[in-house]
Amino acid sequence: MSVSDIWDVLVLGVVLGSLYAVIAIGYTLVYGVLQLLNFAHSEVFMSGGYGGVIALTLVEPVADPSGLQSFGYVILGICAGALLGGLVAFGLEKAAYLPLRRRNAPRLVFLITAIGASFFLYNLAGKLFGRYPMPMPTMYENRKLFEIFGTSVSVTQLIIVVTALVMLLLVDFVVNRTKLGSGIRAVAQDPEVASLMGVNIDRVVSRTFVLGGLMGGVAGFLFGTNLQVEYTMGFLPGITAFAAAVLGGIGNVRGAMLGGLTLGVVEAFTVELWGDAWRYVGAFAVLILVLMFRPTGILGERVGRTA
Amino acid sequence: MELCGDNRSGSLQGVFEVLNKTIVRLAIPIAASALVLSACGSDDDGGGGGDGQTYKIAYQGPISGQNVALGENMANGIQLAIDEANESGDYDFKLEYFPADDQGSETQATAAAQSAIDDPDVVAVIGPAFSGPTQVAAPLYGQAGLASVSSSATNPTLTDQGFGTFLQAVPNDNAQGAAMAEWLASQDGVSSVMVVDDKSPYGEGLAEVAVNGLEEAGLDVETASVPADTVDYSSAAHDVVSSGVDALIYAGYYEALAPFAIRLNEAGYDGIGVSGDGSNDAELIHLAGDAAEGWYLTCPCTDATQEEATQSFAERYQAAYDTPPGTYSAESYDVANMIIQQIDGLQGNVDRQSLYQALAGAEYEGLTKTFSFDESGAFAEQKIYMYQVDGGQIGYLGAVDELAAG
Repeated sequence: MSVSDIWDVLVLGVVLGSLYAVIAIGYTLVYGVLQLLNFAHSEVFMSGGYGGVIALTLVEPVADPSGLQSFGYVILGICAGALLGGLVAFGLEKAAYLPLRRRNAPRLVFLITAIGASFFLYNLAGKLFGRYPMPMPTMYENRKLFEIFGTSVSVTQLIIVVTALVMLLLVDFVVNRTKLGSGIRAVAQDPEVASLMGVNIDRVVSRTFVLGGLMGGVAGFLFGTNLQVEYTMGFLPGITAFAAAVLGGIGNVRGAMLGGLTLGVVEAFTVELWGDAWRYVGAFAVLILVLMFRPTGILGERVGRTA
Repeated sequence: MELCGDNRSGSLQGVFEVLNKTIVRLAIPIAASALVLSACGSDDDGGGGGDGQTYKIAYQGPISGQNVALGENMANGIQLAIDEANESGDYDFKLEYFPADDQGSETQATAAAQSAIDDPDVVAVIGPAFSGPTQVAAPLYGQAGLASVSSSATNPTLTDQGFGTFLQAVPNDNAQGAAMAEWLASQDGVSSVMVVDDKSPYGEGLAEVAVNGLEEAGLDVETASVPADTVDYSSAAHDVVSSGVDALIYAGYYEALAPFAIRLNEAGYDGIGVSGDGSNDAELIHLAGDAAEGWYLTCPCTDATQEEATQSFAERYQAAYDTPPGTYSAESYDVANMIIQQIDGLQGNVDRQSLYQALAGAEYEGLTKTFSFDESGAFAEQKIYMYQVDGGQIGYLGAVDELAAG
C-alpha cells in the first residue's frame, strides 16, 4: 500500500464515515432523551432516499444542467429527503412510541416496537414504491473536481462531505446553543426534574425525533446519490451507524460524529487490505475492542444517564 | 441465472434466518427419511378421466419475502398461461394454479414442496425458482414422482445428482462462464482479466467457471469478491482501476452491477466490462444510465424482444398485471405452456409419472427458446448469446461461439 493509496482510501473512508455520522446522530439523540434504541431509524433514513428520488423524478432534471441548476437540484433533493425523513420520524414517534410512554410501558416493549416499526416501514415502502431499486436522476455531471495529494475527489464525494459537515455543525449548534437544545439536554439528564422546571417533555421528545429524522432523511438522499434507493437500503447503513453511535458513546452527539467517521475510515482500510468480504469484520472488531476498554464509547456519555 | 436469495435481510430478519437454518438443518434429514418410508403410498390418484378433469400446475418460488419481485415475474407468467388456456376453450380439461411459496429460501423449500406433493391434483411443478431451494425440494419431488421443471435454477450441479424428476429448462452457469472466457480470449489486446463475484452461489459458481476458462486460455486472472449488499463500490472500483486489467467480468446481478459500473466509470476504468444473465436486464440501464454503456452481457436467451410473439405476450402480460414482464416471465410462461401441451397430448391418461415421461422427452418451441432435455434432465442446447449495451438499449450481437470464431 503506497502513500497515494492511503490517501485514496482515506477519502473513501471519510465520505462513507460522514454519512454514518449523520445517521448516527438520529440514534444518539433519541437514545439521549428516551434511552430508546430506535431501530426504526434505519427506515427514516430509507424514506429520506425515497423523498429525494420522488422530488427529483417529479422535477425531471434537464439533460445538461448548468451549475446553478445542478445546485438547485441537489438542494431540492436534500430538502425533500429531510422533509420526508422528518415526517416519518414525527409520525413514528406519535404512532408507535407516544402511546407506550403514556402507558409507562417497560423498556423491552419499546425495543420490540422499534423492530416491528422497522419491519412495517420497509415493507410498506416496498409495497408503495416497488421492490426494484430506483436510480437517483442525474443532477450534475459527476466529474473529478480537484486532487488532494494525488487523490481525485468527485462532485458526489464533495457534496456528501460538505452537506454532512454542515448538518453536523447545525445539530451541534441546536443541541448546545438553542432553547430546544437545552430542553433536549435537560430531558436527557432527568426528565422528571426537567418537567418540574417547565420543560414540555412530549414536545421535546417529538422535536428530538424530528431533528434526528431530518438528519437521517438527508443522509438517505446522499446515500441514494452514491448508490441507489431501495426499500431495504436502510438495514446495513442503519446497523453500522448504530454501532458508530455506540462506538462514540451513545447519547453523545459529538461522539456519534467521531464514531461514524472512525467506522467509515476503518471500513475503507479493511476493504483495501483484505477485500470487500471483510468490510464489517474490521469495522466491528474495532467496535468490540474499543468497548472492551471503554464500555461507554470513545467520548463516553456526556448527555443522558447511563444505560 | 441461479436466482439465489440475496442476503439483504431487513432488520433482524437475518438473525431469525440463521436460527431457522439450524433448525431446518436438523429437520431436513428427519423429514426426508420419513418420506422414504412413506413415499410409496403417496403417488397420485388423479389419473384417468377425460372431460372436465381439473389439473393443478404448481409453482414453487418466492411469492413473499425478500425476493418477491423475481418470484412475481414468474408467478404472473405461469398464471397468464393457465388463464389463457382455460379461456381458449381448446382443451377438454381445466387447469388450476397452485402456489407453493418457498420465499426463495432453502429453509422454506421443504414445506412448500410438501404442500404441492400432498395435493393429488397437482400433476407438475414449475420451479423451484432458485437453485438453493431446488437442492432441497427436487429430491422430494423425485420421490413423489412429480415433475419439477425450473425455468431459472441454473446451478450446473443440479442435474448431476439424480433427483429423478427434475428438468432444468434453462442452460446452466457452466455454459455461460465458459462462454465469457472463450469470448474474452478471442478479443485483441486482452491479456489480463479481473473476475469479481458477488458472493452469491450464482456469482461464485459463474466466476469459478470463468476463471478456469480464462486460465486455460493463458490469460492473467485476478479475482475479487464484493458482497452484493455492500454500501460502497468506490473501493472495489478503485482496486480494478489500480490493478490495470484489460477486462473485467462481474458475476452477479444488475442491482449491484449498476452502482459498481457507475463507480468504475468515475474511477476512469476504460477496459472491457462483461457480465452474465443476472445483469442482462433493462433495469441495469435504468439504474446505471450512461455508465452501463459498452458493457457486454451474456445470456442463455436469444433476442426475444424483436419477435412478434414475445411482443404480443408482453402486451397481454401488461394488460393482465399492469406491469411489463420481468426477468424470466416469458420463460416461465413458456414452461407452463409446454406442460399444458403435454397434458393435452396425453389425452386423458394424465398422471404424475406419465406427464414426467412426456416432459422429459418433449421438444417444445416456446416464445423464448426451444425446450428439450438430455438424459440427465439438463437443457439440451447449451448455447450462449452475447449482448452489448449501446445507446441506452441492450443490443444483440450474436451467438458467442460464432463471435469468438470471428
